[in-house]
Amino acid sequence: MIRLTNVHKQLGGRKILDGLSLEVEEGETLVILGRSGTGKSVTLRHVIGLLTPDSGQIEVLGEEISQHRPENLRTVRRRIGYLFQDGALLDWLNISDNIGLPLRERREHSEKEIVDRIEEVLAEVELDGHALKLPSEISGGMRKRAGLARALVCHPEIMLHDEPTSGLDPISSSVINRLIMKLKGMGITQMVVTHDMGSAFEVADRIALLHQGTVRALGTSDEIRQSTDPAVQQFIHGKVDGPLAREIREDPDSSNNNESEES
Amino acid sequence: MSGWISGLGAFLGRSAETTGYGLVLLGRTLFHLPHLLTRRRIRDTLDLCYTYCTGSFTVTAVVALFTGMILALNSGLSLQELGQEALIGRIVAVSLIREMGPFMTALILTASIGSGIAAELGTMKVSEEIDALRIMSISPVRFLILPRMVALTLVTPVLTIFAGLIGILGGMFVAYFQLGVGWMAFQNDGLEVLTQKDVFTGLFKSVVFGVTIATVGCTQGLLTRGGATGVGQAARRAVVVTFLLVIIMGYYITWAVLT
Repeated sequence: MIRLTNVHKQLGGRKILDGLSLEVEEGETLVILGRSGTGKSVTLRHVIGLLTPDSGQIEVLGEEISQHRPENLRTVRRRIGYLFQDGALLDWLNISDNIGLPLRERREHSEKEIVDRIEEVLAEVELDGHALKLPSEISGGMRKRAGLARALVCHPEIMLHDEPTSGLDPISSSVINRLIMKLKGMGITQMVVTHDMGSAFEVADRIALLHQGTVRALGTSDEIRQSTDPAVQQFIHGKVDGPLAREIREDPDSSNNNESEES
Repeated sequence: MSGWISGLGAFLGRSAETTGYGLVLLGRTLFHLPHLLTRRRIRDTLDLCYTYCTGSFTVTAVVALFTGMILALNSGLSLQELGQEALIGRIVAVSLIREMGPFMTALILTASIGSGIAAELGTMKVSEEIDALRIMSISPVRFLILPRMVALTLVTPVLTIFAGLIGILGGMFVAYFQLGVGWMAFQNDGLEVLTQKDVFTGLFKSVVFGVTIATVGCTQGLLTRGGATGVGQAARRAVVVTFLLVIIMGYYITWAVLT
């Protein structure tokens, strides 16, 4: 369903992805872990075509998208949902209009169908009753759920989550985790980038630990827990000392590297 | 010395890149123009026209009124010394309709709307909203840029005409109350020399200025990098670049018309 093969990427003169190869099967939920700067968000941005690899192949839903051909990207993106860290809602539209935006812009459905679908996804993310509020009038957790609803409104086959629980209280995080589990139950293929270990072990079918731009460890939750790799154990337990501590680099996930290369 | 040269080279390179981006953006907006003919885009564009008009109406009126008054007072006092104050109408009318009206309206719109567009799009860029549109297969050019460019291109001539009329009114007040020139004398003299060419030159300038303000604002907004600082820089650059372009293009349009 998603296949990255030997992907290399440099941003701002720094090597972010260094021969990354990763595969996500249909219906699988893959969680990507790693220290800041290891290229987790950059990986997601490659999968959705916001970044083009310097070399390597990226195949999504049977389409080769690494060359950024607009027609391939359009076809693929219509089948993918993406949850941004802060929801990325348009602040002048209310929640309902934000969620309905992709449907209205596609002009393939009647207004009644769109309104029904908006109500359906609002209920799915437990935001019914907030449809007419502006993004600035709701909490961070609700904004994330609204962003998730917007991503789900077009029935995506793949969901990409960029730090879905960051900055949320434990209860809001649990709500998001439950929604990811619900999507998993619906057979949606998912990639989840997170630092939240509890969330990772709860939702993952498999976990990949990125280190220095490549996959350091890959396995099921149990395999990762029982891994003898000191880097994996260091990351899981959040130890300061260990092989990962030597990787002192600037955080590309929080700098301009999050910018798309599309004009 | 070599640092100075490399700095200049980098500046020229960035300027060329930004200019190219702006021209491509303008071209793509023109390419998307047929998409304006949908109910949602027309509604968005009219909403923006309303916002831009109401946001600049008062300041344009005040600036235009006082510009007309200053113009009339300055020229009127000099003409009075020569006993030619009756010619004040033509000076105020031609200056405001052909030159000052489009110019001051463009400067007001640059400061109030152009910088606002840059800041708005810049904020959307750094908060990943523009990426979100792309991911939803919604063209940011069609969804965000097209309505803004069309709205500003429509609003600028309207406000320019308004500014010209208010400015002339200001000039008439000064001519009547301070220089003793009658209403009709002012009006007749102004209308006598004001040609269709002057009016069309003013309108042509205002359209060019409107497109320029929108293109520079959108370009700077979409090229924003970083966080709040980047947004501030984008807004500032939008104002500076548009001011320069407006004044340079204003001169060349006048030169082309007069020679």
